[in-house]
Amino acid sequence: MASTLYAQLATPTNPTSLPCRKLSSLSWRTMFDSALSPSNSPISTTKGKHCSLPKVVCNAQSAPAAVNLAPGTPVRPTSILVVGATGTLGRQIVRRALDEGYDVRCLVRPRPAPADFLRDWGATVVNADLSKPETIPATLVGIHTVIDCATGRPEEPIKTVDWEGKVALIQCAKAMGIQKFIFFSIHNCDKHPEVPLMEIKHCTEKFLRGSGLNHVVIRLCGFMQGLIGQYAVPILEEKSVWGTDAPTRIAYMDTQDIARLTLIALRNENINGKLLTFAGPRAWTTQEVITLCERLAGQDANVTTVPVSVLRFTRQLTRLFEWTSDVADRLAFSEVLTSDTVFSVPMAETYNLLGVDAKDVSSLEKYLQDYFTNILKKLKDLKAQSKQTDIFF
Amino acid sequence: MSAATATFTPPVAFSNSNNPYNPIWRKPNSLSNPIWTANNSFVSRATSSSSSETDNEKKNKKKKKKVVIDNEEQKQELEPVQEQEQERQLQSSSVSVIKRLDDVNPVGLGRRSRQVFDEVWRKFSGLGQISRTIRSDDESSLLIREGGPMCEFAIPGAQNTTVLVVGATSRVGRIVVRKLMLRGYTVKALVRKAEPEVVDMLPRSVELVTGDVGDPSGLKNAVQGCSKIIYCATARSSITGDLIRVDHQGVYNLTKALQDYNNKLAQQRAGKSSKSKLLIAKFKSEDSLNGWEVRQGTYFQDVVVSKYDGGMDAKFEFTESGEAVFSGYVFTRGGYVDLSRKLSLPLGYTLDRYEGLVFSVGGNGRSYVVILEAGPSADTTQSKLYFARISTKAGFCRVRVPFSSFRPVKPDDPPLDPFLVHTLTIRFEPRRQRPIEGPTGMNQDLRSFQLIMEYIKALPTGQETDFVLVSCTGSGIEPSRREQVLRAKRAGEDSLRRSGLGYTIIRPGPLMEEPGGQRALIFDQGNRISQGISCADVADICVKALHDSTARNKSFDVCYEYVAEPGKELYELVAHLPDKANNYLTPALSVLEKNT
Repeated sequence: MASTLYAQLATPTNPTSLPCRKLSSLSWRTMFDSALSPSNSPISTTKGKHCSLPKVVCNAQSAPAAVNLAPGTPVRPTSILVVGATGTLGRQIVRRALDEGYDVRCLVRPRPAPADFLRDWGATVVNADLSKPETIPATLVGIHTVIDCATGRPEEPIKTVDWEGKVALIQCAKAMGIQKFIFFSIHNCDKHPEVPLMEIKHCTEKFLRGSGLNHVVIRLCGFMQGLIGQYAVPILEEKSVWGTDAPTRIAYMDTQDIARLTLIALRNENINGKLLTFAGPRAWTTQEVITLCERLAGQDANVTTVPVSVLRFTRQLTRLFEWTSDVADRLAFSEVLTSDTVFSVPMAETYNLLGVDAKDVSSLEKYLQDYFTNILKKLKDLKAQSKQTDIFF
Repeated sequence: MSAATATFTPPVAFSNSNNPYNPIWRKPNSLSNPIWTANNSFVSRATSSSSSETDNEKKNKKKKKKVVIDNEEQKQELEPVQEQEQERQLQSSSVSVIKRLDDVNPVGLGRRSRQVFDEVWRKFSGLGQISRTIRSDDESSLLIREGGPMCEFAIPGAQNTTVLVVGATSRVGRIVVRKLMLRGYTVKALVRKAEPEVVDMLPRSVELVTGDVGDPSGLKNAVQGCSKIIYCATARSSITGDLIRVDHQGVYNLTKALQDYNNKLAQQRAGKSSKSKLLIAKFKSEDSLNGWEVRQGTYFQDVVVSKYDGGMDAKFEFTESGEAVFSGYVFTRGGYVDLSRKLSLPLGYTLDRYEGLVFSVGGNGRSYVVILEAGPSADTTQSKLYFARISTKAGFCRVRVPFSSFRPVKPDDPPLDPFLVHTLTIRFEPRRQRPIEGPTGMNQDLRSFQLIMEYIKALPTGQETDFVLVSCTGSGIEPSRREQVLRAKRAGEDSLRRSGLGYTIIRPGPLMEEPGGQRALIFDQGNRISQGISCADVADICVKALHDSTARNKSFDVCYEYVAEPGKELYELVAHLPDKANNYLTPALSVLEKNT
């Protein structure tokens, strides 16, 4: 499939199509280079940053009436496909959707240890791999809505799943007459084209818009669940916590809330084709989060602060070599971190649009407090238990 | 990395886990004797190290759910040990020299330094992430956390509850099963045949029981281990035979199976449990009649009339056939006869822990009034009277009277407080007697009665419902068959109400296949609703009702909110929107009548 995908670099201002280029031969490095070179006429954003819009010719676009021509029984509006269902966000969406009475199908990669928990919740699991596009179409049969919350694993090259896979998925969805496509993106992804993942997300947004699918794009800031592993657990285990001195603030949000809002958005016909941004109630810096965790855990953290400049330097260094380019991609966010950005948006309008009460969205203090209360209680129980067993022996 | 990890690691271990070379793991190696000696020392070493290895395994089991990183490290540590052992046993001294040099083995050193570097690098590169979680965790540990109290779906009682879902493949049942699984219940599903498509439809950890609700023998197995039943099966056709089998007989069979199972458990608990009934009176010997008084009275103080009518008479006696019989006649207009006794409960028992009385009686099918006298037992003048009418069948039967159905004789009195009850009276009066059907129905005299008493017991209160039945309101069924369908459903409901189980009967409007939780719901009684409702909402009500004490012993209709036509507003609309964590069911049901 990858060989049939062609990328076109084009701009809205310059609609003349440029020579088609094989996407598979196009690494992100070369894309940046080509975007930077004036001969390829890049888009100049107001910030003076360069953004390239890869326009992939969608095979299905030749038959735009595919939706109506689709034979057979009409699909039930309650049938949804969740891509990336084993992820932090994906699993919450699966749970929520199942609980609200949807028939949920999960697209997961074939793996030695299958994701049994999804089946136990009552979802149907189908094996497919976004990086193997020929496996995708079969999974879309009988599906009304696709919710895409997949990203590549950190250890694999960013392009395979996040770009090529997504393009294939969107094209298949278009060809198979999927009636709604929900795509998760990153907040501010249009402002940071220098970060590969954000650039990809932004381009996917554009590609989705261009595909003609009925879609909703949801941009996210940060997950509270991620903080548990990053800060809470190391503090409890008295390991060293790594933090940066970056002034960046992120409005973390509970994935359960994200899932809830997503499903409300899914049912709301008024926001088709819109771009929503979900952010938590308050934006936090890394230092603030660590302080909060310390307070709740009742113990001091062993903090190793890495200056952002070091991160940045490492990224520059790793970018120099082809074989470390993946590493450079992973460190790319350091570029964002150095800026004084606040990853947050006022949510009042979104709440209003979705008809949600702002009080129902949980705050980070509450979330971490719950976590620490539960975990400390459990640890206490365990201690008591271990004492008992000692006596027993 | 995985969060749950911390959950299962005693904090003592934390200090160790900081160090990739956990001292526990190093011991076997560091303790090991030098091995360039003779064979016998080999043997001793091998045993010592194998014992230390089992030790290790024990440790490993203890920390089964440990931090993944640690686990990996341990595994990696474990492997060399195993390899070493094999080598040791197979090969000779040349290997042992290498063993001794293991600590300075460049490969080992390299591996360890790589681990350290990986760890540092992972953390370092993690700093460059914004909205991605680093997912080096394993599924099970995350699941434990999410199934725990942090999860919005978690229900405290779910872990110890096994629910039997009947009709698990129906539109409502499918969603009920999923919801139960998400909340951590143990779920059994009764299916007619374990066909592949049925098995595929249900989550894998649901225990499938094959059986037919129409066949009582197979149900014993199904209710085994279950504490609650959600019945959402419905007849597949509207053929009368099918309707009776599933909607009526099926409910009856299952209530019976569950009740039998509960009784069996109750016997094992030897009657001391809060779930067993409290014996108030048992009439099995002459002595058991002591304390019971027979009294006469009239409602009208009309002396003149009573002179001319036939009077009344009643006696309570123990017959030769071993039955306690209360019998007599009342010909006086407005007259009645009472059989009453002061209650003497065993020490430590009070009736407020019970929710009603059950009479096991026989006789000629008259109806009686049960009167409870309540008030401070020291001062009977302050006693207040409460009454409830019971009707018996010809022959033996058991009659349940919930305390909530007692009404005060003086309408101004407060509702009955079972705690204060001190006297129980059974009254016969010729008023409002209905002739019983049958061949003798025509020539019986309704003023005479016979009541054979077997026992009176108090029914324990259950906090929760045991049996959730999804019935229907009848709207949406094709008119020609509506009668038959409803008759079967009602018969099923009645058999559930009579079963003695805590029940919740949900009568939804026509079911719609759409996601739930979107629209406000109306809970009502009296068959007045007109709207449909989503299957998912019905399923949600079923699941919520399991642990809701207000749902116990209630029947109610439920549908989407609607605006009543002007002039037809029979009642105030109480709409409840299902939403995150809000328990709409309790407020909705608390206003509805009990024991309906």
